[in-house]
Amino acid sequence: MSTELAVSSPLDGEVPGGAGRRGRGGLLTPRRSNILLVLAACLLAPTVIGGSVGQATGLAMTQLFHPASALLLSEAAAIAIAALALNLLTGYAGQISLGHAGLLGAGAFAAGLVTGRLGLPFWVGVPAGAAATGVISLGIGLPALRLRGLYLAMVTIAFGYLMYSSVLRLDFFTGGSAGVILPRTLWGKHQLIENADWLSVPLICLLIAWLIDQNVMRSRLGRALRAIRENEAVAQAFGIDVARYKLLAFVISGAMTGAAGALYGSAIGFVNSETFPFTLSLSLVIMIVVGGLGSRSGAAISAILFFLFAYLLEGLPFPWLKGLDGIVGAVLLMYTVARHPGGFASVISELREGRRPKRATSDDEEPPMPALPNLPRPEGLGARPAGDGAGPVLEVQGVTVRFGGLVAVDGASLAVPRGKIVGLIGPNGAGKTTLFNAISGLLRPSAGRVVLNGHDVSALPAHRRAQLGIARTFQQIGLARDQSVLENMLLAQHLLAGYDSGQALLRTPRVARQERELDERARQAIAALGFAGRENVPVNRLSHGQQRILEVGASLLTDPELLMLDEPSAGMSPAAAENLAERLRDLRDVLGRTVLLIEHHVPLVLDVCDYVYVLNFGQILAEGTPDEIMAHPDVIGAYLGESEAVAV
Amino acid sequence: MIEAAVIGIVTGAIYGLIALGLVLVYKGTRVINFAQAEIGGAGLYLAYICTSHGLPWIAAAVITIAGAAILGIVFERLIVRPMGDAPRLTVAVATVGLFFALFSLEFYFFGQSPEFVAPPITGRGIEVAGFFIGPMVLLSFVVIAALAAALTAFLRYTDFGLGVLAAAQDATAVRLIGIPLGRLNMFTWGIAGALSAVAALLIEPQIGTVSPGAIGEPLFLGGLAAALLGGLTSLEGAFLGGILVGVAQSEAQHLLLATGFPGISAVVLFVIVLLVLLVRPQGLLGTLRARAEIGGAVT
Repeated sequence: MSTELAVSSPLDGEVPGGAGRRGRGGLLTPRRSNILLVLAACLLAPTVIGGSVGQATGLAMTQLFHPASALLLSEAAAIAIAALALNLLTGYAGQISLGHAGLLGAGAFAAGLVTGRLGLPFWVGVPAGAAATGVISLGIGLPALRLRGLYLAMVTIAFGYLMYSSVLRLDFFTGGSAGVILPRTLWGKHQLIENADWLSVPLICLLIAWLIDQNVMRSRLGRALRAIRENEAVAQAFGIDVARYKLLAFVISGAMTGAAGALYGSAIGFVNSETFPFTLSLSLVIMIVVGGLGSRSGAAISAILFFLFAYLLEGLPFPWLKGLDGIVGAVLLMYTVARHPGGFASVISELREGRRPKRATSDDEEPPMPALPNLPRPEGLGARPAGDGAGPVLEVQGVTVRFGGLVAVDGASLAVPRGKIVGLIGPNGAGKTTLFNAISGLLRPSAGRVVLNGHDVSALPAHRRAQLGIARTFQQIGLARDQSVLENMLLAQHLLAGYDSGQALLRTPRVARQERELDERARQAIAALGFAGRENVPVNRLSHGQQRILEVGASLLTDPELLMLDEPSAGMSPAAAENLAERLRDLRDVLGRTVLLIEHHVPLVLDVCDYVYVLNFGQILAEGTPDEIMAHPDVIGAYLGESEAVAV
Repeated sequence: MIEAAVIGIVTGAIYGLIALGLVLVYKGTRVINFAQAEIGGAGLYLAYICTSHGLPWIAAAVITIAGAAILGIVFERLIVRPMGDAPRLTVAVATVGLFFALFSLEFYFFGQSPEFVAPPITGRGIEVAGFFIGPMVLLSFVVIAALAAALTAFLRYTDFGLGVLAAAQDATAVRLIGIPLGRLNMFTWGIAGALSAVAALLIEPQIGTVSPGAIGEPLFLGGLAAALLGGLTSLEGAFLGGILVGVAQSEAQHLLLATGFPGISAVVLFVIVLLVLLVRPQGLLGTLRARAEIGGAVT
């Protein structure tokens, strides 16, 4: 049972890797929309200055906007930033928050301390609000490392209530009075008094938030967040430090929300504990879910529309319409989660694509596995300490794994020499996958050591072991299956990207250059694997066999020291398994890889492996060359059975 | 000190009612119903309409409880059941929608201005050990004890009740032996709605006024903390947790009142929720199964 929110693929226009839609010919490619947005910013920026010098130029936005509508737009822009922030956390990273209004409040109050109390300009106050809430949300993120789904929802709703009924009523913030004043000081005594002058500020901030969001999603940061949402074990196997990225998602989202709160507070000029009610958190959830979780434009547009909708209803000559917006929003939320979990964004993308069958290819199409590509490690990207080349790549020494009273793996030892294929067989429940998890770091064994290239990695978490060169596949396909073929191939190269998250947020030239290289490498792999032209197809629309090919290809893209394959032939036809044997031999003979293989298909194991271990009831029952294993009496008795042994 | 404890116990027992509704729904459908308390909170407006039209309190209460039960059932039929095996968090977000819908309806029809439901009984109450226990407190104790006993008896000694408990253990097995799971879930949501209304009716005199969210929000957080402390799967735990939460809150308020610190009860609730989930996620009386669920399996 999954506790994560179900989300469908977001709008095509928002998948990371901008080059992915070459030739799709959309009017607003990310690049073009960026240019448009920057142009818009350039147009808006002078009005801030213009306004501050007393509208001397006569070009100020005061002539464009009625004060009331400028105020309304300012507030809507701030709320849109908050929606983007919550979408980043919930839609991308899958971490729900039902307490984001508390962060809006904290941002506004913190900014108020700086601008109102200390008299500093707003361009100090807004970042101060962001910084304060960034720190607070680091605090909320910590429990999120241990709690998921519903339980995170409970903590965050309690946090929201705490902020609303206690923290934001502290004298420290309010100074004993009823609230906090947020003057819009530009410098010295100059204030952006007119709403129309102020409007540029939230609009520019919305633009910045939009660009940051876009940068996140076009970098390994965004890919890591989306992988965490889908499957944390898979994310770890690709070397993603789940805890770190979760915290990062909380901090980025929190800081954006704090800035939004500061902007909202500055727009209305005065905030108190009732400005950001408990239920505002839920309104934000409504906005992003109805807009389409994980959709940037869905979140921003639906936030603005919901906000304006309320005022529209008030302005109409029918008094009974006033206040209906909340009911409409709530009903839309229930309808969305019950009928259209992808929200408005998915409805639009479905309309645009035309209704497609759920699977582009049928299950019975089992393509033979193509020759696996040999992609050299890109130069200038991260390096990893190599072994001395003499000892085995992997040594497992007396590993024991206990689940409560059950001993799943009992003192198992094995070694995988460089350039060999080592098989691990055993009946169902023998503990093969558990041993795999102990080797790759998803499980901590209660005793024993795991040694990779001569380094004891027993104490390292899974993502660190991936960094040192362990790649693995999963029985249930270790890919982010809601995401496209291309996104998965980029995800697989997580550790090859040599830029940090800060650079990713700003999308420095270094990031852009490396992303181009990774994209190129991903496309080469995709073409070599036979998926050219299907770069943007979500993986879950491919057949099982196709997914398996992609998964093996993705794990090769990590340039592994050790490739661990967990039942690659599961669900394959005999013919496909035959072909698989050839590809496994290629891994060793052509690509020079080292492989540890779990298989149920015994003939396959005996066919391709150099050495075989037999696991039974968690213990190594026998080991030897395939010939020795075939002749081993214990193995024949305990595992293969008489008649099957003859058949082999 | 003792007086604060008595107030805490009665508030806590009311939290226990909300927690019981949360636990029943969680056991039945593995969903946290974020609207659990707001159903009753909205129901109070029904009670307000009834009493302001001259109906006696008890009639208003019956109508309110019935209305809340129907709301629970309708929500189960219209939203929860069609969602089937959707991820539990998605269903929980639907209950967030219900909360927001009720809150917005209250706001739409009654606005921010507080309303008042006259309490059924007034008077000085009885004197115990030098302080007075108000009549509403006594009524609350009687009602909650009777309700808890009746519900326990129903769940333990009727086929239908046993079916509800069994479904909480293993829904698939229950379906396989031919018990209509849909009807069990409908019952669970209906009871949860009714419990919510009872809790709201009993706590309303303590808060004094009815305004949008004013009853439902603190009641929900209190009930949530109680359910978590009790273990989220334990019916007895819901009341034990409720009373502990209520007393902790009441004592903290009593002791820290002089400091002028705002919203002490919210601080207490937050601390309890956070501590239980991080330190002892199975709560006081919960099963280990709940613990395995909170972080999800590794693979």
